[in-house]
Amino acid sequence: MMAAMTPGKLRFLLGAAIMVCALAAQLASGTFAQELFAEAAIMGVFALSLDFLARCGLVSFGHAGFLGLGAYAFGGFSVLMGFSPFVSLIAGVLAGVIAGIVIGVFAIRTTGAFFIMVTLAAAEMFYAFVFRSPLFNGADGMAGVMRFDLSSIGFDINDPKNFATFCILMCAVVWLLLEFVMSTPFGRTLDAISQNANRVAAIGGRVFYYRLAAFTGSGAIGALAGVLKAQHTNFLSPDIASWFVSGDVLIMVIIGGLGTLVGGILGAGILVFLKEILSTHFGHWNLFLGLIFIAVALVVPNGLMGALVERLRLREQSAARDAAADESAGKGEGAP
Amino acid sequence: MIFEPQFFAEQILNSLQFAMLLFLLAIGLSVIFGLMDYLNLAHGTIYMLAAYLAYSLARMGGNFWVVLALAPLAATAIGMALYWVLLKRAERATHLVQVLLTVGVIYAGTDILRMIYGDLPLGLSQPASLSQPVNVFGVSYPSYRLFIILLGLVIMGVLYFALERTRLGALVRAGVDDRETAETLGVNIGMVFMAVFAIGTYLAGLAGVVAAPIFGIYPGMDVSIIILVLVVVVVGGLGSLKGAIAGSLLIGFADTFGKLLLPQFAMIIIYMVMAAVLVFRPSGLLPARQFNG
Repeated sequence: MMAAMTPGKLRFLLGAAIMVCALAAQLASGTFAQELFAEAAIMGVFALSLDFLARCGLVSFGHAGFLGLGAYAFGGFSVLMGFSPFVSLIAGVLAGVIAGIVIGVFAIRTTGAFFIMVTLAAAEMFYAFVFRSPLFNGADGMAGVMRFDLSSIGFDINDPKNFATFCILMCAVVWLLLEFVMSTPFGRTLDAISQNANRVAAIGGRVFYYRLAAFTGSGAIGALAGVLKAQHTNFLSPDIASWFVSGDVLIMVIIGGLGTLVGGILGAGILVFLKEILSTHFGHWNLFLGLIFIAVALVVPNGLMGALVERLRLREQSAARDAAADESAGKGEGAP
Repeated sequence: MIFEPQFFAEQILNSLQFAMLLFLLAIGLSVIFGLMDYLNLAHGTIYMLAAYLAYSLARMGGNFWVVLALAPLAATAIGMALYWVLLKRAERATHLVQVLLTVGVIYAGTDILRMIYGDLPLGLSQPASLSQPVNVFGVSYPSYRLFIILLGLVIMGVLYFALERTRLGALVRAGVDDRETAETLGVNIGMVFMAVFAIGTYLAGLAGVVAAPIFGIYPGMDVSIIILVLVVVVVGGLGSLKGAIAGSLLIGFADTFGKLLLPQFAMIIIYMVMAAVLVFRPSGLLPARQFNG
């Protein structure tokens, strides 16, 4: 038998493997694939933000609002007001924090399907705003968004290879940060809320404030993904905030495994590359995408990570049963 | 100009007509959700499928009324087959798995229809007998749109009678109210659900056919309406006929008058209405019971 594998260890190893493989693969591939790796890593950050929120039992269908907000705040500060990209980054993330608090105060009073619809409404309002805003060129979008200037440390971020590396590292940092947050008492409380919010409230946990904090943090990370996305495409388009994007990221997280964090990154990578591969080979590629969604829903309803963890749990149970059988055959000590 | 009585009356009729279409779609989605806790986004695919089937039947020389009778039935048959083959398997799954499954059906269904019918919008002509405008309270109004309003009202009446006065209706109400108790008392909820699913699917198909002459038939028509229908269901409250009626009227009027009075906010007016309703009534206007989402 190999050393005891816990779900936490499995997640960590898998996440590390994804990061290392992605870095190695993108360094070895051409410019076009590097753009895809950057896209996948950015969507990975975005999926992490949604999955972090799911850890306190809330699923948003308007997360693209945060993505768009981050992107437009970054573009607004850097292009329209001439601030440096770093200042604009902070502005973008702060915009996510503020929107998270304001929307959260209203949205968190609801749960389930109602929360889904309230978040959708908020995102659609933002979409409608930028779609018509003359400041940001409305539906046509706005060009000229610059990337960070990292030339002082000899890093040309406009090289696709370097930008992909940068995005993958950002994704890794956000993932490790969230894993750390979930290991703190705050994170444990979020997990407890997702299992049974009423019980947490009954023992004195302030469910509303914990959820508000999670929603705000999730908004900040979603906005960070938006900042990266605006830099990746050098362009702002209202489409970034449309509910199609909210649906996409939700599907990424479900495919990867809701509430597993690393699953979101996995799902983002799978969906980004799958769409690219299918659309280059088939005319009616949405048919295949749809069939794959159906297959995932029926075969691995808990997502890929969920299925792995479940498998691990079953194996451990049978191992524990074997051990218990051995033990009772030997000494007959107290069973659990 | 909004205060001219003629124009005002016409907009009220337009709102009603849109509300009726929303209602036909919302009632199925709402009761399926209320009874079985199933979030069936593929409901919109049936709407689109029926419209395309209607186009084919009309091309084969079918009269509008024949098409209206047959296309929703054909769509219902396909919908039931879809339920038995695919959707049933996620009955006990979480809402998110149901979303993934039914979004998969939407994607696949849209592309299958695009393969058969192409990407261009198609049309379905109104019946000749309803091509002339009629005079309603001094307003000249397209008779086809008036027909949609009347059809919606008749169906509301029939459903109300069926829910309140028939055995199946009582079983549905019992199942929505408390499924486990109903089952314990010997109600075969599975059979009740099949009936509800079939009726809901039929009404979605009916909506697709009657909407086709007005909105056209195009790939993606399912997605563009299903979000509105979700808003109706949430605003009205889950699982109840009265809720679906209230929700579709509210959204139908808010959408039509919102576009007129506040054109710069046209895209968000219904979301503002929804947000306002949910702040004061987090479970919607007239839910069948308290849902925990």
